[in-house]
Amino acid sequence: MSAVSSLVPARFLTLIAHLVIVITIFWSRENNVKACLPLNFTQEQYDTEDKKLLVGLGVTLGLFAIELTGFFSGVSMFNSSQSLLSTGVHASASVALLFFLFEQWNCDIYWWILAICSVVPAFVEILLFVAVVGLKKKPL
Amino acid sequence: MYFKVEMVCLGLYAFTFPHNLRVVSRAKHVNNKQNREFNQTAERVPGYHGNSDGFHGPVYQEEAGCIPFSSSVVFRQKMELPETIRKRLDDFSRNILFDQTRTVTFAEENDGFLPHEKPVLSSLQLQMSLYFNMWFFPCWWISETVMLHLKYPALPEYYKFILVTILLLMTLIEAIRLYLGYAGNLQEKVPELAGFWLLTTLLQLPLILFQLFNEAILIQPLERGVHIVLTVFILIQAASGFAALRNMVRHTGSQFHLQQFD
Repeated sequence: MSAVSSLVPARFLTLIAHLVIVITIFWSRENNVKACLPLNFTQEQYDTEDKKLLVGLGVTLGLFAIELTGFFSGVSMFNSSQSLLSTGVHASASVALLFFLFEQWNCDIYWWILAICSVVPAFVEILLFVAVVGLKKKPL
Repeated sequence: MYFKVEMVCLGLYAFTFPHNLRVVSRAKHVNNKQNREFNQTAERVPGYHGNSDGFHGPVYQEEAGCIPFSSSVVFRQKMELPETIRKRLDDFSRNILFDQTRTVTFAEENDGFLPHEKPVLSSLQLQMSLYFNMWFFPCWWISETVMLHLKYPALPEYYKFILVTILLLMTLIEAIRLYLGYAGNLQEKVPELAGFWLLTTLLQLPLILFQLFNEAILIQPLERGVHIVLTVFILIQAASGFAALRNMVRHTGSQFHLQQFD
């Protein structure tokens, strides 16, 4: 099926794009943290918001680890529905995070992006893990 | 086309990566310890030339649609390394890297095999990492070029020269490295795989670590992201390439040894 041979690299590239942007935000989150603070903020407020964003980024990286292990171990690599879902969701996450970075959006928006674009594919990945390893179904 | 074969186990071994596995493992039993649980009833492919000395890779059958992880079409042409380089790399692998005088070679086991029971020496992990590295490389290249262009005015003179040189070098080495890795792994050729492994560990690894850890070159966040991904790829290829090379050296005789007796 030629569709599969283009779905696998597409999924990989969108995953990596999302991952690279998350790493980029991790290193340059200062402006975004300042965007969710009032104009006159104290250092403690800054630290609190910074820590919240750090936790969000950490959770994203953890969910990435889940999805990447599922992908590279072959559990969901050739599953067309999961690949399609993952490609679409990570592509939208990449675009959204690009705007988040460049337009210096509010850091509350990051939690929405996290919920829709990181939790959903990781959750489906866990379901697939359970289905393949636990219920011994075929990994397709 | 994948779905014709029956899959017993999930994970890396559930699918026919790479193309070579499909062609070579026409047997019911694949003896390679990596593929212990891999059992497929692949149809017999006509025109398969036996892999007796391990150096004549199987003839690839063109199939409808692509199989990921291998572009077997590329290796129809005879773009090989020069003979002297191949001989040197072969000597290096067999005598310096893996000293076989103290380990028992597996040559005796081959006598008991039926002709169609050949161990699969291509490494799946290596092939996967090469495939995804090949797809990732243009992204890395574009990111690196754009960031270098953006930070160029802010660099000291010597770093301007150094970084441009490193970018050119890494591009060239990456192209050659990926080609050698594909050729060496899929066609189970020791010299190409040894060349790939040397390029990876001795050239590409120091260069990428330099770009990742030298703060004086004004590393930008985007560069950190793409360099981290490339470093992970290179490390995985160094490790799995080493294992694949060791397997291949142990299971194959020397191609150049017999020529001494002609």
